[in-house]
Amino acid sequence: MNIKTRKIVGQVLFILIAFYLDGLMKWAFLNNMNHGVVAILPQFMLMVIVLLTMRIDNRRQLIIYGIAFGLVYDSYYYGIIGLYTVLLPLLMIGIDHFKFLLVKNNMGYELSIYFLSLTFLQSGIYLLERLLQQTNTNVLDFITYTLGPTLLWNIVVLFILYIPLANISEWLVKYRRDSK
Amino acid sequence: MQKFFSNKKLIILMILIIVTFGLLAITVNIRDKKNTPPLVQQVGNDVVSVVGGVFAYPTNAVKNATSEFSDLYNTYSENKRLKARIGELAQNQAKLEVVQDENKKLKQELNLNSTLTDYSTINASVLSRSPSSWQSYLTINRGQTSGIKKNMPVMSGKGLIGRIVEVDKISSKVELISTDNELNDKFAAEISASNNNNITGVVSRYDSSTGDLVMENVNSTKDIKKGQSVITSGLGGLTPRGLYIGKVYGIKKDNYGMTNSVYITPAAELRNFTVVTVIKSSVKGEN
Repeated sequence: MNIKTRKIVGQVLFILIAFYLDGLMKWAFLNNMNHGVVAILPQFMLMVIVLLTMRIDNRRQLIIYGIAFGLVYDSYYYGIIGLYTVLLPLLMIGIDHFKFLLVKNNMGYELSIYFLSLTFLQSGIYLLERLLQQTNTNVLDFITYTLGPTLLWNIVVLFILYIPLANISEWLVKYRRDSK
Repeated sequence: MQKFFSNKKLIILMILIIVTFGLLAITVNIRDKKNTPPLVQQVGNDVVSVVGGVFAYPTNAVKNATSEFSDLYNTYSENKRLKARIGELAQNQAKLEVVQDENKKLKQELNLNSTLTDYSTINASVLSRSPSSWQSYLTINRGQTSGIKKNMPVMSGKGLIGRIVEVDKISSKVELISTDNELNDKFAAEISASNNNNITGVVSRYDSSTGDLVMENVNSTKDIKKGQSVITSGLGGLTPRGLYIGKVYGIKKDNYGMTNSVYITPAAELRNFTVVTVIKSSVKGEN
């Protein structure tokens, strides 16, 4: 296996672990079912995807990642296909399109891009679910009880985990062309 | 050339919108109407859930350990209280055995094979919970091969927690009763009043601000008192009779003052469990 394939396998595994962490985190620690007003949704996979998208330059690879993992996410967690499957690749293309504006990756940039993508994703999901009558929550309740807490929790977690996560994704993407 | 490219973008956008809504509409329809999702999705979900088991078992172990720790904390006072009830329990147990035996014999006499109260159980462990606010699903590690069917009720140790919404080959999804969804979470329920006439209704809503279940379409609220227990009535197809839902908390009139809703404190603490029990009714209902 050459170095490029190995790196890609590493990236896929990295995203997969984050994917499982989403569900387990929700199940084990944020499982507020009895007093379910505030809904915090852990979004580790999105964190990893955003960090990788900032570093991968190959747009085709990004689109494949987006569709594949979006499909798995929708099918396994939501039971409806078409939320992450569409929004995730769109988001990744968006980040890829505008990342040339950033001079250099640093924590502030990446935190704010994650903030924007999380807002885009959650609002997109809310709009689609609302259109298909999967929920009857109104907009204000959505912002107060779902979007707000989710953004807060995830930004704090990314702030804490930024250095290891960023280093891993850096290591998983960059390699010297001459190395085997 | 410029025009051509802008057209291409427009076409891509159009296709994207059509694909999105098409996919969503098809999958929502399949979920609501068919008993199982398409085979590809089933296999995909099974593979994901098998791999997920690797991560879920350690997490469940940690979860069990932490809840054991908090149990240990309350042990002394609980022990005192429980000792007082042991004598009572042994007596009840003996009585139950006699009554069950008698019940079986009487059923044989009447040629009744199964009634609404008969059911068998399937145990499953929880793999994860959906990180979504409107699809409160748990994924469990049993599926079609264990005999699970769509719409079967699911209990945790203490009471009812939800029902099966999606069945794959070796995994399935449970929708919790705390879901804020108007379509699916309805259970035919009854309150056993003292004088033999049971009050029936439908547990149809979850009040997320108080954490109570709401029972509507109640036939009379005259005899309902706080603290009475609410069980499933077995009138809704795949749910057998006698599954414990919770205790009556209070009665409220709706906004128009027309109907009464009974608020129920759910018995199942929807938090500290790692194993669930799927209930398989012995009576074949429609569906």
